[in-house]
Amino acid sequence: MDSNKKYWKGLEELNKTPEFVEKNKHEFAEPIPIEEVLTGGGLGGKTPRRDFLKALGFGVGAVTLAACQKVPVHKSIPYLIKPEEVTPGVANYYASTFEGHAILVKTREGRPIKIEGNPHDLLSKGGLSGQAQASVLDLYDVNRLKNSMRDGGDYGWGQTDGFIKSELAAIKAGGKKIRIVSSTITSPSTLAVIADFITQFPTTKHVAYDAVSYTGIIQANQNSFNKAVLPHYYFDKADVIVSFGADFLGTWISPAEFIRQYVQNRNNKSLQNKKMSRHIQFETGMSVTGTNADVRIPIKPSEEGLALVALYNAISGTTLPGTKPLKNNIADKAIAIVAKELVAAKGKALVVAGSNDVATQVLVNAINSQLGSYGTTIDLDNPSLQYSGNDAGLVEFVNEMKRGEVDAVFFLNANPVYDYYNSKDVTDGLKKVRLKVSFSDHADETASACNIIAPNHYYLESWGDDNAIEGYYTILQPTINPVYDTRQAEHSLLIWSENPVKDYYTYVRKNWDANLLAKGGLSGQSGWETLLQTGFVKAAENPKGTYTFGRDLNAVAQTILDHSDLLADGKVELQLYQTVAMRDGKKANNPWLQELPDPVSKVTWDNFAAVSPTDMKNWGYEDGDVVKIDGNNYSITLPVLSQPGQTQGTISVAVGYGRTLAGPVGDNVGKNAFPFHSLRNGTFQTTATVSLTKTGDNSPLSQTQTHHSIEGRNSIIKEATFTEYLKNPAARTGKGKDHKDYNENNLFWQDYDHPQYNWVMAIDLNACTGCGACVVACSAENNVPVVGKAEVGRRREMHWIRIDRYYSFDDNGQGGVTKEKEIARLEDLDHVRVVYQPMLCQHCDHAPCETVCPVLATVHSSEGLNHMAYNRCVGTRYCANNCPYKVRRFNWFNYWNDARFENYLQNDHTLLVLNPDVVTRFRGVMEKCSMCIQRIQAGKLKAKIEKRAVRDGDIKVACQQTCPANAIVFGNANDPNSEVSKALASERTYYVLEELGVQPGIGYQVKIRNISETEA
Amino acid sequence: MAAHSESIIREPLITGKDITYAKITNDILRPVENMPGRAWWIGFTIASLGASLWVFAVSWTFWYGIGEWGLNKTVGWAWDITGFVWWVGIGHAGTLISAILLLFRQNWRNSINRSAEAMTIFAVICAATYVVSHMGRPWLAYWPLPLPNQFGSIWVNFNSPLVWDVFAISTYFSVSLVFWYTGLLPDLATIRDRATGIRRKIYSVCSFGWTGSVKTWQRFETVCLILAGISTPLVLSVHTIVSMDFATSLEPGWHTTIFPPYFVAGAIFSGFAMVQTLLLVTRKVLGLENYITMFHIEAMNKIILLTGSIVGVAYLTEFFIAYYSGGEYEQYTFLNRFIGPYWWAGCMMYGCNVLMTQLMWFKKIRTNIPISWVLSIVVNIGMWFERFVIIVTSLHRDFVPSSWAMFYPTWVDMSVFIGSLGVFFTLFLLFIRVFPSIAMAEVKLILKSSSEQAKKKLLQHGGLDQEQVEFYKEALVPFDSVEIADYEKL
Repeated sequence: MDSNKKYWKGLEELNKTPEFVEKNKHEFAEPIPIEEVLTGGGLGGKTPRRDFLKALGFGVGAVTLAACQKVPVHKSIPYLIKPEEVTPGVANYYASTFEGHAILVKTREGRPIKIEGNPHDLLSKGGLSGQAQASVLDLYDVNRLKNSMRDGGDYGWGQTDGFIKSELAAIKAGGKKIRIVSSTITSPSTLAVIADFITQFPTTKHVAYDAVSYTGIIQANQNSFNKAVLPHYYFDKADVIVSFGADFLGTWISPAEFIRQYVQNRNNKSLQNKKMSRHIQFETGMSVTGTNADVRIPIKPSEEGLALVALYNAISGTTLPGTKPLKNNIADKAIAIVAKELVAAKGKALVVAGSNDVATQVLVNAINSQLGSYGTTIDLDNPSLQYSGNDAGLVEFVNEMKRGEVDAVFFLNANPVYDYYNSKDVTDGLKKVRLKVSFSDHADETASACNIIAPNHYYLESWGDDNAIEGYYTILQPTINPVYDTRQAEHSLLIWSENPVKDYYTYVRKNWDANLLAKGGLSGQSGWETLLQTGFVKAAENPKGTYTFGRDLNAVAQTILDHSDLLADGKVELQLYQTVAMRDGKKANNPWLQELPDPVSKVTWDNFAAVSPTDMKNWGYEDGDVVKIDGNNYSITLPVLSQPGQTQGTISVAVGYGRTLAGPVGDNVGKNAFPFHSLRNGTFQTTATVSLTKTGDNSPLSQTQTHHSIEGRNSIIKEATFTEYLKNPAARTGKGKDHKDYNENNLFWQDYDHPQYNWVMAIDLNACTGCGACVVACSAENNVPVVGKAEVGRRREMHWIRIDRYYSFDDNGQGGVTKEKEIARLEDLDHVRVVYQPMLCQHCDHAPCETVCPVLATVHSSEGLNHMAYNRCVGTRYCANNCPYKVRRFNWFNYWNDARFENYLQNDHTLLVLNPDVVTRFRGVMEKCSMCIQRIQAGKLKAKIEKRAVRDGDIKVACQQTCPANAIVFGNANDPNSEVSKALASERTYYVLEELGVQPGIGYQVKIRNISETEA
Repeated sequence: MAAHSESIIREPLITGKDITYAKITNDILRPVENMPGRAWWIGFTIASLGASLWVFAVSWTFWYGIGEWGLNKTVGWAWDITGFVWWVGIGHAGTLISAILLLFRQNWRNSINRSAEAMTIFAVICAATYVVSHMGRPWLAYWPLPLPNQFGSIWVNFNSPLVWDVFAISTYFSVSLVFWYTGLLPDLATIRDRATGIRRKIYSVCSFGWTGSVKTWQRFETVCLILAGISTPLVLSVHTIVSMDFATSLEPGWHTTIFPPYFVAGAIFSGFAMVQTLLLVTRKVLGLENYITMFHIEAMNKIILLTGSIVGVAYLTEFFIAYYSGGEYEQYTFLNRFIGPYWWAGCMMYGCNVLMTQLMWFKKIRTNIPISWVLSIVVNIGMWFERFVIIVTSLHRDFVPSSWAMFYPTWVDMSVFIGSLGVFFTLFLLFIRVFPSIAMAEVKLILKSSSEQAKKKLLQHGGLDQEQVEFYKEALVPFDSVEIADYEKL
């Protein structure tokens, strides 16, 4: 049925009229006057439509093209062949070692970004000091030397080697002396390299010295027991600890290890076993150890010897010839009590002294021997190797130089021009030396006086090993390729001494294969690989012998008494000490350490003269007044600081400051106090007598805390005595019948659900020693900016965690005067008690900051955390004002690119130290502790991949991880078996400012002092 | 709205002889229609230099960051929010005068409402600049507004008093502006009618085609009444909400329920003081003594006395509650105002606001122009210190003593504050040049009933209670614009 129908449009088509046929030929029925327009006046007219369109088209096109300015393109190229061990976004950890501690180095995409303790480290079980935490930053220090140098100019390694070899050959032929001067070397392989070098050049001697010396103890042990060693102390085995000026929790020998030991008898676990050690400190300046002591007696340096003699007399029941009564009545009484306590704790007692005086240390040995400490709390058979320097050796070396007997000297990790007490002798002597080589990676004070600087690798770039304690060997392995054209010092020495082993890695490997692996029961390639994974081997311990002191003490006592007389010449007595952050000043160019507040004084970026508050008044000083300190033929000007607890008639000055060639960060920060040392009986003395004169200047110190008393606010700080604790473990927590539940009638606040996790923290005030390692760890983990002295002085430091330090004063033995006004009325400001309180965001469940933020930039999580969305913050600072704990930190400036803050953050190279998991913050936004949210997320992710719940201990926040005292416990409160739940279940737990009803997420445990009520 | 006959015992609101409607117009428009005099130029130069300083200091802050101010980790607000609250407070008199006094039929407001309202607007502008410039990231200042956005599900926090503040201030500003401008319409039409050329065109646009018909006047009055009704709650709400920035927080010294009424009273207090400061100068310089008379001055002084005393009672209440509550931190905060490092600021606050204003109990002082002027400035100094004490002295020593700190202002802090005064006076000086500084139409309303010449007529007419006449004459003695000798003959 196909259709033949035809459709037509009109009759014209049907009929096909001629007109239609004609019209149908064209596309358009009506002709368009194109030709007419093109040829006629159409185009000739003024701005015809087409011209306009053309102009428009061109204009738009041109503008578009002009706008297409090429923006800089930063090409990121992914790995073409992915290194097997590197997965972007996943951190690798390498076992290594820092100053004898086994550590783990966290690397991301091939760069080390964080140092973490090795949890199996024998010394501190994963705890690390602030210095260790800060050490990663120095890797990225752009002021490190980038190649070898001769006389200040670049000099290739080939040339350097040629030059030194020919010089050495000539010197060897000449037969004059060669000296390798270093600070204590604990690395067995390095010592072996030096030994090989000595074999090659027999006139060589290795001179080891320490800027802060322990020669006194080593010599004393030589004298007393014929063992020239630094003993290994066990503070965990001592029930009664008496320290005469030894800052063993801060700077003395091995503080991170000692903190761990010390706290074992004072932490929650110990208290629950009704056990707490007792610690009495006699000291001049307020040290970290003194602040932690149960009883602290201020004594002058001149009284220290007398007090020790008195203690010896009291313990032994004899009277040493020449014994003089102590003028210091309080110390005198205390000595009698302490002697009784020590004798009662025989075998579990320990007396230590910080003095570097041989006679004093011999007397301490005698006391310890009387107390049966050898073999129990003191181990001479597995000694510490951390410090083995000999003061006399260094002095002899300087004399040799002056006499022109030395032809070559190599400085390895030594800077005597800065830290020798008579640096002019060193510089003068060096002028007579033919070949002077420094291995320093900075052109420091000594290196600048050398011909050749052969810069060493940084430890994170090096192979090596360490041996801090007899039998404990740790391995050092590189975690990054050398950043600059540096060469490991050992490698240089191997080359220069024409050693058959040309490369230090092979040397270390051989040394371990031959000598060390076997000590840990390892061998061969597999043993080596195991070592690289575990980081250390431990040899069997030598049997601990008991030692009895049997020498005559008469001469010793006489030396001590003479020294006391010398110091007590009526002038002001000066005590030199190290700060926890800066120690001997070798790391002065590290901004994290410079900005780490001193635990006691809270001063940053400076040293100062600590003066007792009474003397401040008597001498007419105000804080920050600059005084000239004159003594031992040396003088410096320093601001003074009123330091409660400082013994009257004394001042304390920290060494480690006043570097002149440390680098832009450390140069001219504070003044050098090393030249106040004096050489007496073969050791450097850390005390002197000085005179003070006011210069009239005032140079304010930048402190992070300027109000020092708690004002009786016992809902912030709670403390009890051990006696009270034994009667009632919840003593002074405010718990009990009268304890009000501040959350009972909660009308306004909805409670948040924490269905899965509730991240909380417990902080034991009795464990925290205030060392500040957590502050540095937090800065490293969370990319916290450094702001510098001026900004800290304006109270703008950015630290997310701080350690509050409060003094309370004793009023006639009553204790506990904490109010500003009452303190002002007190006459006796010497007897001060200290409490530390780490303070960080409390992650309140009813957080006052959250309600006031207009833009919801800070909000609560379902896991009990208080989040901060930096990108949403507009910077009204309302949250910080409303935070009762004052833990929020505002980015006042753009610390990352404001040219006025020329610090490490603005350097492309140093920025590589940043943790890529934590965003950096722009100016104008608030920031604060996030409970290491990136670590929580990583832990949750790992658990999820492994299809399990997060286990307790999987996630450790940075502050907790580094704490040598384990004072910080973090975890999930929803899990009743978690460490943190157990810690919070302690009777001692309280919450700071609990009565505000903000429901803080961090519980603190009451500080306990082992003192009886009546005791001063 | 004007009463048609008024008792003789009421003091005149317009003084002077031969005051006609035309003379009122001529007097009031003199500064608008003539080139300014030397006094104006001197004032304007100083003020605009101040305004430039403000531009410089605020730009400096924007460029480098809030760190240029003296704030720190403990004191997060200081001169910025002090300045903000101070300016908002000053901005309170305008609405009170225009709205509440209108509703209460206080005719004396007619002479001062225009300037007071203008001052309100300029003060709120100064306050608003602080709101923006104190932010860490001022380029995001629009984020606290509940604007629909594409950032995801991001919204503002309606729990935050700062968001309430945004609403309160913006509402207050817009309502005040509309009210002020509506009031200006008949006067602008008057200027238009007298002007020529381009000025006529501009004023013609500005006067919205005012015709002056009965219908127009009727609508005008209705709108004014409605706006007065809308504005009245704002007088109370704005500073109530500003006070909640503090009252809803945890901070000891801030966390007090008395803050809303205390702040409102303080705001009116400082607002009237500022009106007094400005008008005492304006009436002299512009020769408006006949329209802003001793009666006005005294009336404002009485309000300053009243509100100052309310503020004083609030201070006492605060101290009592701090004692009575037993709250350790609150007690310390209030003691700290006297014995802490900022004791001098506390003394300025209590001294200027409470002790000095008590002098106003004496009529001699209320009617003494130089003393009134000095006191009005003292009040505003005191009120600035009140905010400083509340903000800085509370913050600098709150709960945790380790964080106690001092606040030291930098040159930028000071420049922003001095600069904001410059902005304010620049705007005010421009205002008196282009707009009539007294509401002409409203003053004319009361000419027939409450002027001195009307009263004189009454006196001449006789038949009044002699005691009342004597009272009236006595009341005129302090008037500096009245020839008291004229009354000897009557």
